[in-house]
Amino acid sequence: MTAIMDIRKLSKNFGGLQALKNITFQINRHEIIGLIGPNGAGKTTLFNCVAGVEKPSSGEIIFKNGERSESIGGKKPEKVTSLGIARTFQNIRLFDNMTVLDNVKIGRHCRTKSTFFGAVVRNRTQKEEEEEITAHACECLEFVGLRGLNDEIASSLAYGNQRRLEIARALATEPRLLMLDEPAAGMNPQESRNLMDLIHRIRDKGITILLIEHDMKVVMGVCERVVVINHGEWLTEGAPADVRNDAGVIEAYLGTGAANAA
Amino acid sequence: MFLQQLINGLTIGGIYAMIAVGYTMVYGVIQLINFAHGEIYMLGAFFAVSFIAFLHLPFFVAFLLSMACCAICGVLLDVIAYRPLRNSPRLAALITAIGMSIFLQNLAMIIWGSRPKPFPHGSLPEYFEKTAVSFWGVNLSWFHLFIFGITICMMIGLNLIIRKTRWGKAMRAVAQNKTMAALAGINVNRVISYTFALAGAMGGAAGIMVSAYYNSLYPTMGYLAGVKAFAAAVLGGIGSVPGAMLGGVVLGIAEALGAGYLSSLYRDGISYAVMIIVIVLIPAGLFGKVLKETKKSM
Amino acid sequence: MVNIKKMTLGAKFRIGLLALALILPALPFATDYFLHTVILIYLYMVLALGLNVVPGFNGLLDLGYVGFYGIGAYTAGLLTVHFGFSFWTIVPLAFLNGALWGVLLGAPTLRLTGDYFAIVTFGFSELVVLFLTNEIWLTRGPLGLPGIEPVSLDLSLFGGPRWEFVGEVPYYYLAIALVLAAVFVMYRIQDSRLGRAWFAIRDDEVAAVSCGINLLTYKVFAFAISAAFGAVGGCFFARWVTFLSPDMFKFWESFLVLCMIVLGGMGNIWGVMVGAVVLVSLSEILRELLPLLGLPVEVRFLGFGLIMVLMMRYRPAGLLPIPAVAAQMRSGRVRRKKVKATVGLNK
Repeated sequence: MTAIMDIRKLSKNFGGLQALKNITFQINRHEIIGLIGPNGAGKTTLFNCVAGVEKPSSGEIIFKNGERSESIGGKKPEKVTSLGIARTFQNIRLFDNMTVLDNVKIGRHCRTKSTFFGAVVRNRTQKEEEEEITAHACECLEFVGLRGLNDEIASSLAYGNQRRLEIARALATEPRLLMLDEPAAGMNPQESRNLMDLIHRIRDKGITILLIEHDMKVVMGVCERVVVINHGEWLTEGAPADVRNDAGVIEAYLGTGAANAA
Repeated sequence: MFLQQLINGLTIGGIYAMIAVGYTMVYGVIQLINFAHGEIYMLGAFFAVSFIAFLHLPFFVAFLLSMACCAICGVLLDVIAYRPLRNSPRLAALITAIGMSIFLQNLAMIIWGSRPKPFPHGSLPEYFEKTAVSFWGVNLSWFHLFIFGITICMMIGLNLIIRKTRWGKAMRAVAQNKTMAALAGINVNRVISYTFALAGAMGGAAGIMVSAYYNSLYPTMGYLAGVKAFAAAVLGGIGSVPGAMLGGVVLGIAEALGAGYLSSLYRDGISYAVMIIVIVLIPAGLFGKVLKETKKSM
Repeated sequence: MVNIKKMTLGAKFRIGLLALALILPALPFATDYFLHTVILIYLYMVLALGLNVVPGFNGLLDLGYVGFYGIGAYTAGLLTVHFGFSFWTIVPLAFLNGALWGVLLGAPTLRLTGDYFAIVTFGFSELVVLFLTNEIWLTRGPLGLPGIEPVSLDLSLFGGPRWEFVGEVPYYYLAIALVLAAVFVMYRIQDSRLGRAWFAIRDDEVAAVSCGINLLTYKVFAFAISAAFGAVGGCFFARWVTFLSPDMFKFWESFLVLCMIVLGGMGNIWGVMVGAVVLVSLSEILRELLPLLGLPVEVRFLGFGLIMVLMMRYRPAGLLPIPAVAAQMRSGRVRRKKVKATVGLNK
């Protein structure tokens, strides 16, 4: 399997706190890979380093997009997105005062280019681009299953729909790699099942997915491979069923003694 | 000449410092730039003059009474204008602060008239005029000594309050983390009001001294002094009380020397320039922490 | 092309207002003083639309707007007095000059947090006033700059007449033209990639960045556009009142325009225009009324300060909030989530 991302000895410290230490693993193309670990393990920090929100203290993140390899550690988030890596947020971050459709249209920003001049003059290029943006946004909304809500204000949506909207927006950026930060948080079992189905469909479109999740049903149901980190360090990785029974993982989550009891 | 300018600078710097600590303390506890602080400074002068002119109180009594009134005004400002917006976005509070500043300036104009007034004749102790100390061609009057004395005492007093008293500790706690302070049993609102009272008292004292020294007070005097003191607070690092004190002195001296040697026309511009340069180059100032956007958690 | 039946009630209302505005000078009560006031309203509409870009569309507080207004005015004044430039040449120059200063000031400062940025803009506008006051060799300082030629329209190249603007009426229509141009530009921007990027920045910077928006570029651009509008307004002002002096460009003007957009509805094009109408009218009415009541003129300013305080307390979204906030208010969500009612001030 070819790798789409190569994380090598990634470390990040905040002052005295070592959040990540020598994390090394690969993400394979078209894979659905889960990142799990107890709270405070450093999962979101890892996401933030990949997404460009945090600058790694040391180590490399290599993104292999087709033929080209790019080292993206330390690049700005907007650049990372334009290279083909999109993300969602643990606490949903929508554009609250904009419509559902506009939220997704903004996702298209990194793939389009009209400016002030185009906006005011509305030449043919700009009009065509706007049509493309609208069409693509509608497609993304259809794809995630949000129908008939285009003109609703984003903050008025039900929670589950808000999550889907955020995913639609991320999809609008045309990513090769999609990073989902706890997408199932706060979802009931039915919604989780719909989410898993959506994740499968996204992968079927050719997008690789990296997923942080605490809901083990979702992790088991959707991930092909799972990487476990604890205290900022790589603990183990493998198929979900194997990882679940790994003594080290049980100890990380439940403490010593629980591993023996298992 | 240089020494004279230095003395001028130190005098005015001490005044700026007194106003600046007011800005910095309030910013520390509620992250608000209290635009109306300059108006409390102005009210200090007007209260004192009114007490002297209408109640015929002696200078020092009027001084203290005015300080007390300014403390109360500070608290009222917080309770009436800022506290209701405690959970609103910060810029809403900022606009409110500007609104209060404009309101108070014009209220003063209506009550006392907009023309500059002199300090009531004969109200200052006579010996203020007399030279107390003279050296190297420079004369220091008793008034100079009074101003230095008051500023230094207030600085020391403020430092003691902040470091040694319960209230001071509570203020520092609230400045660091409001939620935790509340959980620790601190009445956050009361501490904030206390901060405003302290800030108001010191600002008022500054106002009285300036208006007495220059023998002139007018309703818009708070505007310019407020901006300069704010520049001083920024220079010292907003949120840091020692920083504000140092910033005030440095700015005062820079202004006096700049006006003396560079250009007196741009005397006021020095503060603006200092402010902009400090903010752009070293936002943390001399002692402060860099302001961070309060981000939603990721 | 335009189907009257299909137009919404709001659009019909606005067309009606425009028609009224166009025939206003012909109406019997349209004295010079009245027209002068209405032109002032139009001028402030342009300024408010310009300022609206920064806090309204981007969520950043700008306290130094009058600096660009003053730069535009004095540029126009000086180019006219010393070089005899025509108004129609000066406008694009002022636009570009304003934008340039917006970029110069914005590029180093828009990385800063909202509070610091606000302070820096304030300092900048004060420095502009100081410069205008002190550089007497250039601006004649406090003496002011008189004798600025009125606007004139020279169609001799096309075999037409040369026509100098006399009285208020020509300026009235020029002002309407400027307002229409400003509204047109803002309207187009609102519904475009650029506008969406700005609104995204306003609503959530972190999410905006994750969609590929470079914050600094877009913020600087917003600031530059805002400055350009301010400069064009200043241009018109200079050639209209034909006399400039530094104390026309004090902080109070920045505050006044800010009041207009806060009162009218930050981020809402129609809202800020309504704000301009209300505040200028109020100002003029009070200016006449207060002496009759025995109150000094300063009560006006006091009133405006009070209005701002009350608005922030009770209706921070303004008289005409942007659609999203209006929808939330209707559905009663405002009471539960106070933060959302203050659009544009999320930082």
